[in-house]
Amino acid sequence: MRKQYRLWQLMLLVCWCWATNLQAQDEVVLTPVTKTYAITNVNINQAPGKKIEMGTILIKDGVIKAVGKNITIPADAWVIKADSMQAYAGFIDGFSRTGVTKPKEEGRERQKDPGNPPPDKAGITPQNDVRAFINPADKAIEEWRNAGFTIAHVAPYGGMLPGQSALILLGGSGTDNMVLQSNAALYSELTPAERMYPNTIIGVMAKFRELYLQASITKNYEAVYASNRNGLERPQPDRVLQAFYPVIDKKQAVAFKAEKVLDVQRVINLQKDLGFNVTLVDVKEGWDVINKIKAANAKVFLSLDLPEKKKEEKKEDKKDDKKESKSDKPKTATEFEKEALDKRKEEFTNKYFGQASAFQKAGIAFAFSTNNAKAKDIPATLLNVIAAGLTEDQALAALTTTPAQLLGISDRVGTLEVGKMANIVISDKSYFNEKAKVRYVFVDGVLYKQEVKEEKKAENTGKKADASGRWSYTAETPQGANTGIISIKNDGGKMTGTLTSSMANRDYELQDIVLDGNKLSFFYTADFGGNSLKVEFNVALDATSFEGTMTAGRFGSFPVKGNKEP
Amino acid sequence: MKKSLNTIAIAIALLLTLSYTFAQSPKGKYGTFALTNATVYTVTKGILTNGTVIIRNGKIEAVGTNITIPSGAEVIDCKGQFIYPGMIDSGTRLGLVEVSSDPRTTDFNEVGDIVPQMKALTAVNPNSALIPVTRVSGVTTVIASPEGSMFPGTAALINLHGYTPDQMYAGFEGVVLNFPNTGRRGFWDRRTDDEIKKATDKAMEKLNDVWEKATQYHKLDSATNGKGVGYYPELQALLPVLRGKQTLLIEANASKDITAALKWIKEKKIKRVVLTGVLEGWRVADEIAKAGVPVIAGPVQAVPSREYDRYDRAYANPGLLRKAGVIVALQTGQAENVRNLPYHAAYAAAYGMGQEEALKAVTIVPAEIFGLADKLGSIEVGKSATLFICDGDPFETKTNIKQVFIDGWQIPMVSRQTQLYDEFLQRDPGVNKVKQ
Amino acid sequence: MKLKIFFLLLCCTWLGAQAQSLTGNVLIKNGTVLTVTKGTLENTDVLVKDGKITQIGKNFVAPAGYKVIDASGMHVMPGIIDAHSHIALSVVNEATQPNTGQVFVGDALDPLDVSIYRALAGGCTTSHAMHGSANAIGGQCETIKHRYGTVDADALRMEGAPRTIKFALGENPTRVHGSGNGIVPRTRMGVEHVIRQSFAEGKEYMEKWDEYKAATKVKGFRGAPPVYDYRLETMADILRGNIIIHCHSYRADEIYMLLNVCKDFGVKKLVFQHVNEGFKVAPELAQFGAMASVFADWWAYKFEVYYSTAYNAAILHKNGVVTSINSDSEELIRHLYHEAAKTQKYGGLTDDEALAMITINPAKQLGIENRVGSIEVGKEADIAIFKGHPLSSYTIPMLTIVDGVVRFDREKDADDQRIYVDPKGNNDNATFHKYYHNHENCLEGAEQTMVKLFGFN
Repeated sequence: MRKQYRLWQLMLLVCWCWATNLQAQDEVVLTPVTKTYAITNVNINQAPGKKIEMGTILIKDGVIKAVGKNITIPADAWVIKADSMQAYAGFIDGFSRTGVTKPKEEGRERQKDPGNPPPDKAGITPQNDVRAFINPADKAIEEWRNAGFTIAHVAPYGGMLPGQSALILLGGSGTDNMVLQSNAALYSELTPAERMYPNTIIGVMAKFRELYLQASITKNYEAVYASNRNGLERPQPDRVLQAFYPVIDKKQAVAFKAEKVLDVQRVINLQKDLGFNVTLVDVKEGWDVINKIKAANAKVFLSLDLPEKKKEEKKEDKKDDKKESKSDKPKTATEFEKEALDKRKEEFTNKYFGQASAFQKAGIAFAFSTNNAKAKDIPATLLNVIAAGLTEDQALAALTTTPAQLLGISDRVGTLEVGKMANIVISDKSYFNEKAKVRYVFVDGVLYKQEVKEEKKAENTGKKADASGRWSYTAETPQGANTGIISIKNDGGKMTGTLTSSMANRDYELQDIVLDGNKLSFFYTADFGGNSLKVEFNVALDATSFEGTMTAGRFGSFPVKGNKEP
Repeated sequence: MKKSLNTIAIAIALLLTLSYTFAQSPKGKYGTFALTNATVYTVTKGILTNGTVIIRNGKIEAVGTNITIPSGAEVIDCKGQFIYPGMIDSGTRLGLVEVSSDPRTTDFNEVGDIVPQMKALTAVNPNSALIPVTRVSGVTTVIASPEGSMFPGTAALINLHGYTPDQMYAGFEGVVLNFPNTGRRGFWDRRTDDEIKKATDKAMEKLNDVWEKATQYHKLDSATNGKGVGYYPELQALLPVLRGKQTLLIEANASKDITAALKWIKEKKIKRVVLTGVLEGWRVADEIAKAGVPVIAGPVQAVPSREYDRYDRAYANPGLLRKAGVIVALQTGQAENVRNLPYHAAYAAAYGMGQEEALKAVTIVPAEIFGLADKLGSIEVGKSATLFICDGDPFETKTNIKQVFIDGWQIPMVSRQTQLYDEFLQRDPGVNKVKQ
Repeated sequence: MKLKIFFLLLCCTWLGAQAQSLTGNVLIKNGTVLTVTKGTLENTDVLVKDGKITQIGKNFVAPAGYKVIDASGMHVMPGIIDAHSHIALSVVNEATQPNTGQVFVGDALDPLDVSIYRALAGGCTTSHAMHGSANAIGGQCETIKHRYGTVDADALRMEGAPRTIKFALGENPTRVHGSGNGIVPRTRMGVEHVIRQSFAEGKEYMEKWDEYKAATKVKGFRGAPPVYDYRLETMADILRGNIIIHCHSYRADEIYMLLNVCKDFGVKKLVFQHVNEGFKVAPELAQFGAMASVFADWWAYKFEVYYSTAYNAAILHKNGVVTSINSDSEELIRHLYHEAAKTQKYGGLTDDEALAMITINPAKQLGIENRVGSIEVGKEADIAIFKGHPLSSYTIPMLTIVDGVVRFDREKDADDQRIYVDPKGNNDNATFHKYYHNHENCLEGAEQTMVKLFGFN
């Protein structure tokens, strides 16, 4: 236990070193040439169900100036010929940590009195503002933007009351510039504190109730005191309790994370007891409690972090083959059991994907949240959600108009109408086409062009790649980037190599170097003060670059990219 | 420091109270007894009504309906009562633990993963307060088994009467092997599937390594008549198993592990072997039957091992195994509540095994499995006089066990639990110390 | 004014969030009805309307739309009640402080726990879902009905059942807090101190608020309210007699101690749980009017239960203490009828006395004896039907009914009873409990917390 903790500390230290290393590289960012754009010959999905074929969108100073046919294009406009492409209002993510930095874990000193820890140690920091944690350079911002998202509702990391959430634009030069609306909600989770009160869900719920009621009482007394201070005891200012005041006044909602069906019910019970306005985010299992959600008048963001869906058709075919070939052999009880269990699993996978459709049928306004999902999976996930019963228009509404409305920003975003903010996503085919690619994204009138990659790496089979040579690499870790050089020699099929990392002043011997087609894997054992850590690489490479993952023992996997040095 | 002092103090208190309790206990009695007018459940030779059983020199001298009572025999009239062979619990920790949460009183889990030379019989505490509590319920004979690691030691069959382990020893010892387990060990076991697989693979590797070494040791030992090999207690303890002279008790519960264990047994050509636990045996009952390996199943009163399993799987398991043709004995796996063995058997009976088979599973079947069919497990002439008299079906809770005999000794029908009852049913003084 | 609303709100907290319970209409025909309170009735019918028992008699004809159950040759008894369990809970212990009276396990009900179904398959229809025993004063508990088959957590709550709270004496709280963390209590003296202190502070708190509330009634009052404290609110409610104490206890001395503490603070609603040495102070328990909920035969799993006897229930009962047999275990809860039968072996109780231990007596201990615990007209139709007498070792529970709805039917029982399935879960996943290692489910969660909290192993 203790050993692991020390290793963790070391790891953090190392990561911190990587991060500073990266910042040392200077970059010149060129500002846009113009703030006027004309997107021509494009199919405009103005709002769900409202289409203009082959029209033009004119943007100026971050605002949509004109939408439609026969629009005169000003001379200062940068013309984007989006011939037969599809334009949509930029997507809005109902809840995630996109662009939010996870605070460094502090040394976990033991609490002397674990029953009464200081609030901040126990995850009670409702006064924190997510703006303090936003990193405009976060890679995730670009990834989600590339998937079509232009606005995200983000909250700080933490325990039961991490702090104030905000609506941010997924693009912009700095934090303030990115923030569309601060103090969007008081964000809360049923997350217990470690090794101190509240250490369980029941502790969290009791603590939440107590804080809320304490806040109500102190708020009242502060009002009494403010009206005439003479002769009265001075109220004790308390930032934790003060953070609840807008919630009590119903000027602010509590955004509560509620993944599982039991979480949803627990949050709704708190809401019922205390009466605050609630927004449920990250909902994964809400289909059976729709009535409760309705009765609580809760706003809902359904999670797009869904289980992996097996490719059914192929499997079915195989099964049939087997059946025919083995028809003489009756199935054993164990086989029947396995089949029944697999069927139930599939049934539930389908429920996860069918959730949006269930909410749609129940007439509840819902949008999506992307917390914990991967940006590159989103189009496929949405296709599965649509296959499970949602229409494309309904899916589009859940990405645009409905979240705008639920988050109270539909005066500015959610549709491609004149006067709205220029948050636009343009894809080469319908976004809901399997092969669609997002080509252009506008955030607040700023154009982000997406390179369309040739899919050389994944499909580059047949030809055996060559791993030998010097490669520079960069691995993305939550704490920053780790860079280094990998050298591989090939002596008649037997490969040897070394790795020099920015995190250590020594070379590491590479072990188990295997090249299978274009898939390269190896590992090395790093050591920190007596503790060893196995670091594995699994990458796909071509002649000049590679891409894949680096797995550092129990600390998890991180994306890694590399280029061949000349 | 303070903590260990506390523990010592507790241990001393425990010992003091133990000897105190026993100083007051009545003693067993050896002699010639004639149990008359009884309904005798012989188990192997049917049911005798109005039967007589003669006990002399520790053995059953006669059984029948027309028996002459030897002169000088103490006659116990069993009119309206029943005689059964003593029940055998084929898997317990009885005698090896007094208070399970206190490590100072637990002696079933030695340090080390390969310690087959650790002998349970050495650590059996003949004066454990748990023993009288158990035997007055008609359970007379139990396997006391070490547990914990891969080869935690050698289990022993003991009779629940005697003042030294040798007086208690019932004639069977078996080496325990916990087969690499793919199941989780409790709600707190949060290992990932991958971690479990890795641990199991590693354990399997280790087991095979041990076996290979033992095989080599056996070859060298045989070739040199025991002179060419040095002191090697772990492997020496495994020799009798390799040579088919001692039974290997293999604990395996998950169906996958049972299958793997059967394969391993076949591969290693192990002659005397029993599977224990086998909670998921029902899933692979045919395989076990085909392999011809007997099992010691239980505990029967247990929850299913998987969330999606039918609620009564553990109850039904012995019956399903039996139906498939497996030889089934039962165990409670307990220490202080081995006395509940008849109820585990009743559950097995009600959920498919039937009363007759369930009775065999706690009498003659384990006797056969342990190679003691000539000594234990039924009411037959020449067998050990280990039996009990009761006023009804011993698997029924309402039934009272009237008298227990172990190896011909008439056992005092008291335990600390009955003594506390006698003292406290009408406590004196009651609420008021000063009598009015 | 607004303040009043908050208090109202607070009172509603525990009654709030109630879903509509499902009730049914059933006619149970021709069974041997073990009413428990009114003897045994042969060849008798029981008519259930809207979840309530409306008639008991012979030769009833089922009104249209009623489900008819032929119980010929079967035994019909009241649904079994377990006064001590931890099933249907996501959390058992908030083990971070010696007094956690503010937490409420009802906040963590888990209707998806398949243990509920397994309990039903043992005829058990109601249980007392309790906080664990890590703290001298643990959390508040919830009395639940086993309405398995819904995801609605609120549907499990037995609406209107009295509030209860867990206390714990002896080894568990002293080990977790004293030995584990160097906080009082480390001894049984300390446990008494913690409880006395909590009551005393609760009393002070109650008086302060009463005073404040009285003051606010005077026109023009302007003053600071006392600091609101959720834990002391609970203590005040215990002192007001609004909460029944269910106290985990083993040794005679600690049981006697709590009797004295409660006498001093005027607390009357007191049930001892486990209470293995209750038999040693049975006259005192009877005189106080405290009740006892015991194991049938568990002992020796820890030092404080070494001097136990399976005759405990019989001695307590014969000394006039209302006694029940409980499970504290997902395993035992499936055969409490069998556990109750052990009182016939250990103490020779009659059938009705033995059955009362798992029906009307636990109902009294939970304050729900007017609603469940016997087969009587007007009571809720929680009924268990057995093949064979339920006190026989060979009996098999066949049908279990909660509020007139059949929740378990052995004839129609499907294997996989999970309500939710984890799409990412592994189906080849078995768990083998070693029962003798975790006899005391009470400390569930606390052990892990201890390891985490204090590096205690």
